[in-house]
Amino acid sequence: MTQAEIKLCSLLLQEHFGEIVEKIGVHLIRTGGQPLRVIAHDTGTSLDQVKKALCVLIQHNLVIHQVHKRGVVEYEAQCSRVLRMLRYPRYIYTAKTLYSDTGELIVEELLLNGKMTMSAVVKKVADRLTETMEDGKTMDYAEVSNTFVRLVDTHFVQRCPLVPATENSDTGPPPPAPTLVINEKDMYLVPKLSLIGKGKRRRSSDEDATGEPKAKRPKQTTDNKEPIPDDGIYWQANLDRFHQHFRDQAIVSAVANRMDQTSSEIVRTMLRMSEVTTPSGAPFTQPLSSNEIFRSLPVGYNISKQVLDQYLTLLADDPLEFVGKSGDSGGGMYVINLHKALGSLATATLESVVQERFGSRCARIFRLVLQKKHLEQKQVEDFAMIPAKEAKDMLYKMLSENFISLQEIPKTPDHAPSRTFYLYTVSILSAARMLLHRCYKSVANLIERRQFETKENKRLLEKSQRVEAIIASMQATGAEEAQLQEIEEMITAPERQQLETLKRNVNKLDACEIQVDETIFLLESYIESTMKRQ
Amino acid sequence: MASRGGGRGCGRGQLTFNVEAVGIGKGDALPPPTLQPSPLFPPLEFRPVPLPSGEEGEYVLALKQELRGAMRQLPYFIRPAVPKRDVERYSDKYQMSGPIDNAIDWNPDWRRLPRELKIRVRKLQKERTTIILPKRPLKTTEDKEETIQKLETLEKKEEEVTSEEDEEKEEEEEKEEEEEEEYDEEEHEEETDYIMSYFDNGEDFGGDSDDNMDEAIY
Repeated sequence: MTQAEIKLCSLLLQEHFGEIVEKIGVHLIRTGGQPLRVIAHDTGTSLDQVKKALCVLIQHNLVIHQVHKRGVVEYEAQCSRVLRMLRYPRYIYTAKTLYSDTGELIVEELLLNGKMTMSAVVKKVADRLTETMEDGKTMDYAEVSNTFVRLVDTHFVQRCPLVPATENSDTGPPPPAPTLVINEKDMYLVPKLSLIGKGKRRRSSDEDATGEPKAKRPKQTTDNKEPIPDDGIYWQANLDRFHQHFRDQAIVSAVANRMDQTSSEIVRTMLRMSEVTTPSGAPFTQPLSSNEIFRSLPVGYNISKQVLDQYLTLLADDPLEFVGKSGDSGGGMYVINLHKALGSLATATLESVVQERFGSRCARIFRLVLQKKHLEQKQVEDFAMIPAKEAKDMLYKMLSENFISLQEIPKTPDHAPSRTFYLYTVSILSAARMLLHRCYKSVANLIERRQFETKENKRLLEKSQRVEAIIASMQATGAEEAQLQEIEEMITAPERQQLETLKRNVNKLDACEIQVDETIFLLESYIESTMKRQ
Repeated sequence: MASRGGGRGCGRGQLTFNVEAVGIGKGDALPPPTLQPSPLFPPLEFRPVPLPSGEEGEYVLALKQELRGAMRQLPYFIRPAVPKRDVERYSDKYQMSGPIDNAIDWNPDWRRLPRELKIRVRKLQKERTTIILPKRPLKTTEDKEETIQKLETLEKKEEEVTSEEDEEKEEEEEKEEEEEEEYDEEEHEEETDYIMSYFDNGEDFGGDSDDNMDEAIY
């Protein structure tokens, strides 16, 4: 784990779970698997705090536990999973676009709580939806259950590994920690539950000053001691499936930008057809025949078979090679080259970064070297049609930032420098890794700056929150306009200005984080896909 | 080694390779050597591209900020213990600022977690003697119990027979463990002839006179 990744993990953990969890989490990421007492000793925190932190981390799938020999339980942190926390809003938004508000809330609850049983999720989501509905309407559990089942069917939600059922309890004392197993077939198996009920609205009359009604309600819910039917079956969000969806989206929009709407629709159809048949790390999808594609096109699209064939040929001939032709049966068998597509996307990202950082002439040189693979200094000047001095300058700038590298080709076995060719080349994999590292650093910087800005204006923020609370309570009890005006004037105009600036800055920094995270996703997908092929 | 001796006397220091190959021609001035680390915030030559805006961007932004706020409120957010203030205050006894005994606020499924992670919550009886929980109405009968016991033990100490003391201590312990209040109260009351709560040792005599100014003091 690089220093930049560790720093980013530390900031994310601290923001979402507090300092104690952050300390334990970062220690585990740095040092690898450790048992409980060693963690407590090395970090200098009390055993109780360490236990609490580990419970939280395990609940959120950030730390796994394993029993080693002699009964020692070791805890290991998953750094890459911690970095995913940056992407939570994007997952939730995707669920919203696919399955509307119900899906959005289900995924949100699962992400916020790590893992939950189906009945718990359904109940909570129904309650939350009921809150937002108009008076008198409630959300039925059945509808929420349906959306949940649909999410499971499309693999967006999956089961957590289970505690193995211990048949023989006479093999001595139970192990210090359960070894959780999951069967491939069972991962998307929904238990047969009959969840009947409606969401409960938290009525305002219950929020009276006397704590009595509230104290009564929890007692009532524990009074129904029916065993939960799906006890022990926990569900978690399947992040890989979301990543697959993002990748598909990126490919479709790339095709739409390069060619036109119709071709992007065709590619989208092909990707949809191969969603569940293609394993997640595959370099290309299963071959699809042109007839199948024609049958599966969305209903609104009436293009004739011939036009479809022409489009497919065009796509297959495109130099970017998103679509490849793998055979002629069934009217032509076509595949989508996922690995090549990711490579093109990563390359486009690199080119865009070079252009924005160094200017368009540098970008021209970069694209040239990319295309010709290896070029000498002189050749670069000639092909790019840029004067020697400037070309040199630009090449060295890119070299110093590691976008371009030098390749030595010796002419003689003794590698004498005067008799060696030095060629400029671009290695996409190493440039992508370098850029990814920079992205992690950028996000860490953005988070730190945002925290700094918020801390600077803490006093002002607290004051404005207090004023808002006062105004809200006064409005609830029916106050006059003049009084409200007076309260609002407690915040002076320059302070209001300051608050506005703060809000704008924080929004900008947040939006930047989201944007950088998209780049991180592309680069990570490309690197992962390349590593799998090796 | 041979080249180093031969290179002396030229204008620029000799390098081990032919610099023309890399593009530095003869007589070109090299840039000056850098004697300090690069500046922390180098000046930007090109302005960054504006961020994407639009409905989607704003929705995701709002989601992000909401999530951040929501996670702080969940029981998974562990706050470090409030540092003890300089002087111990009376109100500290009545403010329970955290879950009992550092246990966690939420209920994980303990079957899935290693056993060593479970924090044992101390039993209720010990808590009664160490921390006074703010549930005053429920505790009045039990407090009476304790005061009765304390008064008794104090009295008994004056006349003492060790066996009686032992018996009482045993009964106290038994009582704490089993909480059979009514039974113990009766037992204690049987030992003495007087009902302890009616006992008035005369110390409050002078204080009562302030209540009713009408009655004359004799």
